[in-house]
Amino acid sequence: MMKSLLKAATLGAALLAAGSALAEQTTLQFWDNQQTESGLSDVQKAAVERFMKENPDIKIEVTTVPYPEYQQRLLTAVQGGNAPDVATLDQIWVGAFAKAGAIADLTGQASAAGISRDGFFGGAWDSAVLDSKLYGIPFNVDVWQFSYYNKALLDAAKIDPASLSTFDGLKSAAEKLTTNGKFGVGLFGHKGEDTVVVGDSFIFSNGGRILKEDGSCALTEAPAIEALTYLQGLAKSAPAGILNASSGDMRELFLNGSLAIEFWPALEQPTLQESKIDWGFVNGTAPAGKTPVGTFGGWNLAVFQSSKHQEAAWKFIQFMVRADVNGDVVDLIPANKKAAEAFLQKNRKDPQAIMTQLDNAKARPLSPRYLELADAQIAMFQDIYAGNDPKAAAAKACSVIDTLK
Amino acid sequence: MRQDRWLHWLLLAPALVVMAVMLYYPMLGTVYESFHETSFLNPDPKFVGFALYQRVLADGTFYTVLLNSIVWTLGVVLLQNILGFLTALLLNQQLPMQGVLRAIVLLPFILPGVVAAILWRFMYDPQLGLVNSLLLQVGLIDHSIAWLADSRMAMASVIVAAVWKGFPFSMLIYLAALQNVDQSQIEAATLDGAGPVRRLFDVTLPAIRDVVVVNIVLTLILTFNYFDIIWVLTKGGPQSATHIFPTKIFETGFGQFRFGEAATYGVFSILVLALLVALYAIVQGGANRRRAAA
Repeated sequence: MMKSLLKAATLGAALLAAGSALAEQTTLQFWDNQQTESGLSDVQKAAVERFMKENPDIKIEVTTVPYPEYQQRLLTAVQGGNAPDVATLDQIWVGAFAKAGAIADLTGQASAAGISRDGFFGGAWDSAVLDSKLYGIPFNVDVWQFSYYNKALLDAAKIDPASLSTFDGLKSAAEKLTTNGKFGVGLFGHKGEDTVVVGDSFIFSNGGRILKEDGSCALTEAPAIEALTYLQGLAKSAPAGILNASSGDMRELFLNGSLAIEFWPALEQPTLQESKIDWGFVNGTAPAGKTPVGTFGGWNLAVFQSSKHQEAAWKFIQFMVRADVNGDVVDLIPANKKAAEAFLQKNRKDPQAIMTQLDNAKARPLSPRYLELADAQIAMFQDIYAGNDPKAAAAKACSVIDTLK
Repeated sequence: MRQDRWLHWLLLAPALVVMAVMLYYPMLGTVYESFHETSFLNPDPKFVGFALYQRVLADGTFYTVLLNSIVWTLGVVLLQNILGFLTALLLNQQLPMQGVLRAIVLLPFILPGVVAAILWRFMYDPQLGLVNSLLLQVGLIDHSIAWLADSRMAMASVIVAAVWKGFPFSMLIYLAALQNVDQSQIEAATLDGAGPVRRLFDVTLPAIRDVVVVNIVLTLILTFNYFDIIWVLTKGGPQSATHIFPTKIFETGFGQFRFGEAATYGVFSILVLALLVALYAIVQGGANRRRAAA
């Protein structure tokens, strides 16, 4: 009888202890964009396992959502009061989520943890700062664009690939390469963000900008107009139908040998490495004497204001952007510069050139109404590619953008 | 009698409740939203009266969307009904492998809208598409045309895709109607010396007139609300050349999270649809009265 009582008491005590331990464990909901081609969710799971080993008191539940519905799902979750604790946010969404009060100000935490702009690519860091407050930590990045070229086509036309780095050189090459059913340059103008980032990179490379310091539209300034005029000329060497063509359509033409030069970020390299194309790339294009400036793309990690576990969430973010972890958990380039160097050395051709382009790149304007701003820009690019006057197109875009301040 | 009436209402109640929840409540909600500024940045609805209506009407895009919607709807309905009727006439004949032919004709209608749109996107591809390839081979064009990227061609191109997708529906309706035409009247007309065209216009069409009118109204309503074909093919572009109410509502509400303005577009859309439903009700009422009189 005594033995049975003792056993029962021991069992009870053990159960209590286990229950107590479980009760102390925090469960974090982590949402991320699903990049199905690369199986990112598997990579994320490995990172999560590693974090949970280092932090046994924190359990992470990962949800991956396809990009086309990701922002809407997040929005619905925020409005419905069941937002995740941590999520990756596209750089262009940070302004809206911050202005809506959905994500937490991480300025203090970052400062206390010694996390600063110096450890990350400057443009990526800037994409998370609104009104001098930090609302996210850069997670991964890439830059639009690199000009990937088909070596065989350039050789046949006796074009030096280095010439593609200048406005004049690219235009001349594109015209020469547009012959015999082939096209020189893969410019595109469909209703998508890739249209904006490529167009922006030409504006930035010419010394132009999208918004002024006061938030008003800068597209009617001379450098932007010059870049837009240049793009209009370049479009003549692009495949027909660019107003409904995307970067993906241009990739198909490049891979089947119909297109000599395509504009894509560094993430295009694995695709090209698996293809039969003998390819190379240059770091974008700028007028002679100027440095090409790309447009940043990428994702930031943010803590949601409604999270009941903000400390744990912040711990998870610090882990994910750590130099020894960041490279293992991303499919784009790590935003942590040290991790990026190692990642590029291991996974990309000409890593130093990519690092240079990343260092020079600029973020898109961090506006809470960025989606409407981008819509106005897309309409402008479509006007220009359709042959309308660039000044008038820019003025029309500015008349919309200025109402968004 | 009173008990019967109660029973009728009781049996109808579940369907009415579902309709109220799934249809009327969202419609009323849309009207409510159209008077409130609601967006992701301002999630708490703020009453603004008719400000959103003024903003939408002042926006040049609204008139483009309205005109596009009319052109799209009338173009698709007209062509769909004509093609559907002609196909029904053909399939109403005693043809070999009639069953197989009818099944083949039905295929476009069976395909999901998104799949059909992707198919047409490939066919319209300026470099690799079947449409340009065929037209070039027969000499109807001398260079490839960017069907979906040229603002002058885009609307016609999406209309063709929609007609291809939807004409089997009209074909089915008309085939059923044709098979119910009184054959003795056709035989009598034949004996009187009427040729095929006279028989068609003087006997067949009058006999199926009510079906034609109803089908036109139905396809008007369905086409006006059609979203997936245009969204997949052009997203309302290029340069808003194919933007209709459904695509504009989706883009404004779910692309830019301006729910108030999207609701305003939705109200305009509801008004047009309400007119069409009223028309349908009048047509049905007329058809019922004629049947009762006969």
